[in-house]
Amino acid sequence: MSQTLSKTSGTKKNTANHASLELINEVQQFLYREARLLDAEQFRDWLGMLTEDIHYWMPYRYQRYRRNEKDPTIYEASYFNDSLDDLDKRVRRTEMDTCRSEDPASRFAHVITNIEVELTENSDELTVYSLTSVHRNMNEDDGHVMIGHREDLLRRVNSELKIARRKIILDQNIFTNKKLNTFL
Amino acid sequence: MNAITPNPFDYHQFVNTEEGWIDRRIFWEETIYQRELEQIFAKAWQFVAHDSMIPETNDFYTTYMGEDGVIVSRQKDGSVNVFLNSCPHRGNKICLADEGNARNFSCNYHGWGFSPGGKLLGLPNEQIVYDDGDIDLERWGPRQARVDTYKGLIFATFDEEAPSLEEFLGDFRWYLDIMLDHDEGGTEFIGGGIKSYINANWKFGIENFIGDAYHGAWTHDSGARALMGESLPVPEPAGSYQASMNGHGWEFGTDGFYDLAILGQPKILEYYEKLKPKMAERLGELRATIFGSLASVAMFPNCSFLPGVQAFRVWLPRGPRKLELRTWTIVNKNMPDEIKQAFNIACNQTFNPAGIFEMDDGDNWEGNTSINKGVVTRGEKLHYGCGMKRRIEHSELPGVIYESQYSEANQRQFYQRWADLMSARSWDDVPTRYTPRYAGKPTRPE
Repeated sequence: MSQTLSKTSGTKKNTANHASLELINEVQQFLYREARLLDAEQFRDWLGMLTEDIHYWMPYRYQRYRRNEKDPTIYEASYFNDSLDDLDKRVRRTEMDTCRSEDPASRFAHVITNIEVELTENSDELTVYSLTSVHRNMNEDDGHVMIGHREDLLRRVNSELKIARRKIILDQNIFTNKKLNTFL
Repeated sequence: MNAITPNPFDYHQFVNTEEGWIDRRIFWEETIYQRELEQIFAKAWQFVAHDSMIPETNDFYTTYMGEDGVIVSRQKDGSVNVFLNSCPHRGNKICLADEGNARNFSCNYHGWGFSPGGKLLGLPNEQIVYDDGDIDLERWGPRQARVDTYKGLIFATFDEEAPSLEEFLGDFRWYLDIMLDHDEGGTEFIGGGIKSYINANWKFGIENFIGDAYHGAWTHDSGARALMGESLPVPEPAGSYQASMNGHGWEFGTDGFYDLAILGQPKILEYYEKLKPKMAERLGELRATIFGSLASVAMFPNCSFLPGVQAFRVWLPRGPRKLELRTWTIVNKNMPDEIKQAFNIACNQTFNPAGIFEMDDGDNWEGNTSINKGVVTRGEKLHYGCGMKRRIEHSELPGVIYESQYSEANQRQFYQRWADLMSARSWDDVPTRYTPRYAGKPTRPE
């Protein structure tokens, strides 16, 4: 049993095949565009890629013995456990002229890979798995890499794709840096 | 406790509370840091866990006292054992998990087995490998710490000579009750705590919480405006204080609600509006008013919290230039679930590495630390002289009291305690630098 990563069968149901190449391409372009907005700190535009009812969640990753493993819940410590309003507060902070700890700006590269698209029972919604590798360099020589396994629910709203759920599982136990000043 | 190495310095030379300066070398030098591990972290009582983290028999949590790894584990009789997380055979870690439940521990190297309480139980193939008289299992268990609790918080020390926890906390218990005993059910931690590294000396974290109201309005302006739509207030000197007792410190206003309002959660304000009259019955008007006011707190040597915001944390030293921060959310056991969840979300949103306030602090403390690689820089003193003349006597507030929460009084007292312990050859050398009012007395009428 996995503590945090969703486990799905590799052979029983290869639903990825059910998504058309056209749809897979659309999803990839959507995620790359999102990564570009985050790299450029265009957070207000990024909020526009989320649905009104978004739940953006990055639970803390415990280190437990296998026999003690359990799935994280939203009722425990999380880096993010956010509604759209919560995310908006975080973005507002970066927009203030007194946000001194983000000036000079950090340098980000969100590298998105391992994209897998699954159709759901709802024709407007897709489950999308991906891996984000966030490379960040700031100040004189402060470098940091964060790798997140993402599980998204994308929803088509007025013909446009939007993110309705995102769960991010980080590959670190101790977060090895002083701040997480981006989104994954 | 016997000094582990000969005491080379009077450490008071690094801390001048009369002139209000501190020598930067205490934030940089490896030799001073090693001395801190011996004189402070191997001697002082330290917070290791909250009772609620290990509720069931055989529940455990692993942490550090200084750089000494320890296992904190719940025994069948409800007591707690704290012992070194190191196998007495070759030294490997006994337990590799953050937390869990274990009927026994075994070392991965040769399989030496230990009870949940840390007794050496057996050695694989003992009959074949060892002869009679080779090893006394009783004698070779991992070293046990002294353990005591105060209203839900579990403390430990490896020093047999240390005073009792009650004496170590002293009148600070009067203040701790504001956080831990303002509701009849007591407190608990929300599940999980986030661990992160900051490349800063551990003392910069603790001194920030013990008495740095000053940085709030400047460092955290963007966060405050994002959350509340307005900047943090600059508190009036009258009616706000710094209180210090042997290095423990609480800086606070008496506005009654600011740290509750800062989270921007109306439900939380409503809950406490209802609770406040009951709090006043339990703790008196003054203490009920202090709770939730703009405030920050630290317990010597390395534990902090924000009453009202309910952020709780420990700063574990990781060398002179690095610390490991562990953060939790502390709530009242009897709170409705929806209020607990409001705190869980709001507290994590503000005070963890991704937190709206937390993100603004780390770079400053790293800057305070790393700049000292310059020898000329390191030779310069740091100014700690704010509010030198504001000491007052207060009829109700115990401890060394300074008026105005904008002050460095608590920080000076913290570093004085640091120097006292660093220089001491035994606990007899460690002075009590305030007049206790509650020695041997309960701090809340039963």
